[in-house]
Amino acid sequence: VRLSAQRFLREGQMRKERKRLIIPFLLPAAILYTVFFIYPTVDALRMATFDWSGFTPTGDFIGLANFQELLHDEVYWSTLKFTVMILLAGGVMIFGMAFLFTAILSSGMWGPFSKKVFRAILFFPNVVATVALATLWAFIYNRNFGLLNSFFEMIGIEKLSKVTWTGPGLITWAVLIAMVWIYVGFYLVLLLAGVDKISPELFDAAKVEGANQLQVFVNITIPLLWDVLTVAVVFWGITAIKQFEFMYAFAGIRPPREIWTTAVYMYVLSFGKRDAVFRMGYGTAVAVTLLILVAIFVVVARRLMRREVVQF
Amino acid sequence: MLHSSSAPSQSSWKDGLRSKLLAIPPATILILWSAFTIFAFIWIVVASFKDNRELFANAWALPTAIHWENYVKAWAIARMGHYFVNSLVVVSISTFLIVAVSAPAAYVLGRVSFPGRHLLTNTFVVGMGVPYQVLLVPLFVLLTRIGLVDSLPGLIVVYVALSLPFTIFLLISFFASLPSELEDAAAIDGANEYQVFYRVMLPLASPGIITAGIFNFIGLWNEYMLALVMLNDQNKRTLSLALYGLQGSMQYTADWTGLFAGVVIVMVPTFILFLILSEYVIAGITLGATKG
Repeated sequence: VRLSAQRFLREGQMRKERKRLIIPFLLPAAILYTVFFIYPTVDALRMATFDWSGFTPTGDFIGLANFQELLHDEVYWSTLKFTVMILLAGGVMIFGMAFLFTAILSSGMWGPFSKKVFRAILFFPNVVATVALATLWAFIYNRNFGLLNSFFEMIGIEKLSKVTWTGPGLITWAVLIAMVWIYVGFYLVLLLAGVDKISPELFDAAKVEGANQLQVFVNITIPLLWDVLTVAVVFWGITAIKQFEFMYAFAGIRPPREIWTTAVYMYVLSFGKRDAVFRMGYGTAVAVTLLILVAIFVVVARRLMRREVVQF
Repeated sequence: MLHSSSAPSQSSWKDGLRSKLLAIPPATILILWSAFTIFAFIWIVVASFKDNRELFANAWALPTAIHWENYVKAWAIARMGHYFVNSLVVVSISTFLIVAVSAPAAYVLGRVSFPGRHLLTNTFVVGMGVPYQVLLVPLFVLLTRIGLVDSLPGLIVVYVALSLPFTIFLLISFFASLPSELEDAAAIDGANEYQVFYRVMLPLASPGIITAGIFNFIGLWNEYMLALVMLNDQNKRTLSLALYGLQGSMQYTADWTGLFAGVVIVMVPTFILFLILSEYVIAGITLGATKG
C-alpha cells in the first residue's frame, strides 16, 4: 500500500490528536474510581485492624487481633461453610444444568426461535429483583399454605406435604435450589454463546467421521468452550462469594443462622439493627477475608483450568 | 450435534434415532424447568389479585374476584408509588452518569495506545472481583464525612463508582471491536478528535451503550443492599429496599397478597425492558466472555 505524503502526515497528526483525549476522557472515571472505590478498598484494610463501634471518631488500633478472633469465631466459620457450599455445591449444580441445557439447545432439535425463547425464559429470573425472588421462594416453601406443600397435598403425597422445607437441615438446600434456579439461565447464556462461535464445519466433519452426539460434545464442544467456561467459573466464584440479598430477605426480618452467608454476617456485625453489634472494624475484617477468598478462588480456578490451546 | 444433515446410510439413521431417544430426558427437564419458571411468575401475578383468605385456603386456585385493593394498599399505604419515583430518579440518573463517564474512558482504553494503558485497564477491571462488603463500612464513613450519607445524591455517587469496573470492561470490548476505517476516514476529512468520538465512534458503539445502560438500569433497580446501608430516612428508600421493608413488616401483618402486589410493582419495569431489549441484555453478558 502506497500512502501519499499528505495522508501519511495526516495519520501521524491524527494519532497525536487522539492522544490529546487521554486525560480529559479518563479523568472523570479515574477520579470517581479512586475516591469511591480504590480509597475505600485501601481504607478497609486499615479498618480491619481497628476495634471500632462507629460511634467514636476513631477506634483503637489492635493490629491483627480481629483476624485472630475470627479463627475462634464459630459463627464466622459456619457462615463461611455455607458460603463455600453455595460456591461449590451450587456451582456444580448450576454448571451441570447449564451444560445439559446447552447440549440440548444446540443439538439442532429445536429451531433458532425456540432456542431464543428457552434462553429468554431461563434467563428471566436474572432481571428480577432478588428481594422479589426471595419473597416468591419463601411462599413456595411456606409450611402451611406454600405452593410446594399444597402441591403434594393435591397429588395425594401426604407425607411430603407436611415437611417444613425451611426447617433445620433442609433450609440450606431449599436456598441452594432457588440459587440454581436463578443462576442457571445466566450461565446457559454464556455457554450457548460460546457454542455458537464454534464453526459448524467442525460439527459436520465430526459427523462425517461417524462421531455420535456425546463424542462430539466431549471432544469438540467442551474443549472449544474452555475459555468461555473459565470466564464463567471465575464469574460464578465472584458472584457466589458475595451472596447476600437472597438470604437476607428470604425468611422475613431475621433469617435463621443456617442461611447466613459470610456476607450476611458481615452486615449483621457492622450495620445490623436487630442485633445492634456495631463492630465495624471486626465486620470489615470479615469482609477482607471474602476478598481473600475471591483472590484464592480466581487463582486456583485459572490454574486448574489452564491447558494447551486447542487448535483444529 | 448441530445441523442434523441426515446422511442416507443405515447406520447414521440408527445413530440419529438413538441420539434422538437419548435427548428425550434432558429435553423434558428443560421443558419442565421453563414451564415452572413461567408458572411461578404468572402465579405471583395471579396471587397478587387474591385476598389472603383465598390464598391461604388454596394457593393453586384462581381468584374468585379481582382484588385491586392489594395494589391500592401497596401503592398508596405502603407508599410504593413514592418509592417507585425515588427509584426511577436515582436509577435513571445513575445509569446516565455511569455511561457518560465510562464510554469516553473505555474509548481511550480500548483504542488509543499510550504507556500505562494496560495497567490502567487492569486497575479498573480488577474492581469486578471486589465483594461490595469490603467497601460498605469505608464508603459509609466517607459519605458521612462529606455529608452525603442518607441522601439520594450519595447513593447515586456510590452506584456510579461501583458500576465503573463492569461497564468499562464491557465498553472496552465494544469499542475495540469497531473497525478503524471510519475513524480514520473522518479524521482525514478534517474532523477533530472530539468530533471523531462523538459523531462517529459513539454512534457506532450505540449497541454497546444501550447494553451498558440497560444492564446497569436493571441491576441498580433490583439492588437493595447498598441502599439499605447508605439510606436511613424512610422517605428516601428505593423501591427494592421498600419491598424488603414490606417483607419484614409482613411478619406482623401476614398480608401475603399485599406483598405480592409489591413484588409485581417492582418486577414490571424490568420485565418490560427485558421483553423489548432482551437481545441487548444477552449481548452484554456474552460479549465480555466470548471475545477474542
